[in-house]
Amino acid sequence: MEAAIVIRGVSKVFAGRNGLRVAALEQIDLTIGAGEFLCVVGPSGCGKTTLLRILAGLEQQSAGRVEIRSGEPGKPLTSMVFQETSIFPWLTVKDNVAYGLRMRRVPPAVQEPIVEHYLRLTGLDKFRDAYPHQLSGGMKQRVSVARAFANDPSILLLDEPFGSLDEQTRLLMQEELLRIWEAHRKTAVFVTHSIDEAIFLGDRVLVMTARPGRVKAILEVDLPRPRDLVNLRSQPAFLDLSRTIWHYLREEVRAEEHAGRKL
Amino acid sequence: MGKRWREAFAARTVSVLSPALLLAGWELLARAGLVDVRVFSSPSRILGTLIPALLSGELLYHTWVSVCRIVLGFAAGALPGVVLGLSMGLFPFVRAALQPMVAVTFPIPKLAIMPLILLVFGLGETSKVFTIAVGVFYLVLINTMAGVLNIDRIYLDVARSFGASRRDFYLTVALPGALPMIFAGFKLGMGTALLLIVAAELSAARAGVGYWIWRAYDMFDIERMFSALLMMSALGFVFSYALDVLERWVIPWKPPSSSAG
Ligand SMILES: Nc1ncnc2c1ncn2[C@@H]1O[C@H](COP(=O)(O)OP(=O)(O)OP(=O)(O)O)[C@@H](O)[C@H]1O
Ligand SMILES: [Mg+2]
Repeated sequence: MEAAIVIRGVSKVFAGRNGLRVAALEQIDLTIGAGEFLCVVGPSGCGKTTLLRILAGLEQQSAGRVEIRSGEPGKPLTSMVFQETSIFPWLTVKDNVAYGLRMRRVPPAVQEPIVEHYLRLTGLDKFRDAYPHQLSGGMKQRVSVARAFANDPSILLLDEPFGSLDEQTRLLMQEELLRIWEAHRKTAVFVTHSIDEAIFLGDRVLVMTARPGRVKAILEVDLPRPRDLVNLRSQPAFLDLSRTIWHYLREEVRAEEHAGRKL
Repeated sequence: MGKRWREAFAARTVSVLSPALLLAGWELLARAGLVDVRVFSSPSRILGTLIPALLSGELLYHTWVSVCRIVLGFAAGALPGVVLGLSMGLFPFVRAALQPMVAVTFPIPKLAIMPLILLVFGLGETSKVFTIAVGVFYLVLINTMAGVLNIDRIYLDVARSFGASRRDFYLTVALPGALPMIFAGFKLGMGTALLLIVAAELSAARAGVGYWIWRAYDMFDIERMFSALLMMSALGFVFSYALDVLERWVIPWKPPSSSAG
């Protein structure tokens, strides 16, 4: 498989105001294939968001090299779904979804059907003219997902996009995300704290160590696509994988607790 | 519903009744000779002067002159205030370059530089408009900058990650994000403008509400003075109402505040 993202020896150190230096990432080596769906799990504060922000060009790594092979010309390289609420309070739902297209100066007549398509997909079409303060937390998150998809990037960066959704909506959105991904096969890097979600969605799962984040393990998800998320949970392959990831994560969380006690 | 409605009704009644009582008390005291009508006049005497002054169009003419100066001065101060405030909020470099000058010149009372303004701009309209503009400028500038600095960093990240141009940063993030604070600046600026117009029309003016007040003072015509004060109060009310309406129109995304009423 052709590589879409090559990460070599990437570290990130934040220099705090009080001279405190926080090492967020350490010596990350990772190659993400074109069209691959990579899920990232790891303890809170291990640098998952930092990694995505470096890929999005919002943060500069302190050391190492990041190479992003651009896909199709004329298309944006990456679009990010942010972890926190990030839709503009001063734009309507429709204008929020259209934001990326507008920044790229896509003619309004071309924007219109794209925006409508994603509004329908995310179940927001009745709220197209609403302002964010009129939406629930989960709806805001869906606007954020729609905004990233509508921008049609080569690489999707998703930072716990379904974190604040209830179980049913989350399942629907996961199925929808898979449907869209299977149709377009965009490279996707998906951060989650849910092991189930990582296995449901990913081709591979990257497990990170506690801070400073390093690559703890990379696991292949050997489950056929298209996946039936509802029945997946009871398959032996799913359970094995889930147990392995949990085992790795527990080590890391324990190690962190231990370090915390020593401090 | 009953209780809330009754409370609202009671509040409404009190806010009409209390000024009415004050006026009635004033009138009674004046008639009884307990306040000096030569200094404090009385409501009936003031009305007796105000109504003819309004009907003859004389007071309206002076009001119109002042309104023109206020509106021009306000616009001349607010526009650069917003543009510079947005730039200082968005770009640390611009902020570093201009902040010291703003910090040093802002505390100077604007009335204290009126003689200088008169020297530079002469006795004509420009000096009055400029005085108001200076007062409005600082308040709008400082509020706008604070408004931009208060915008959640995440929105700047979103704009950046979607490839926003410099112009997009101004128009899709900084301006809308700072609008509530910009309007707070406008309202403060309007208060200052009303203060400054009276001072500006003290010297070398041949018309205006301020001019009217000072003339009345020279002639010790207390009723004319009070008439003009009433006019100033009405102006203040109209301007702040207009700003409220404008604010609701340009900030449709602002959730209705629960403390209203
Ligand atoms: N701008 C910053 N300045 C200083 N420190 C930062 C900054 N951004 C992140 N950090 C630190 O870097 C570490 C990693 O943060 P990051 O947000 O990447 O974690 P995360 O894995 O996304 O956590 P979570 O799962 O809770 O979202 C944290 O310890 C955090 O405090
Ligand atoms: Mg995070």
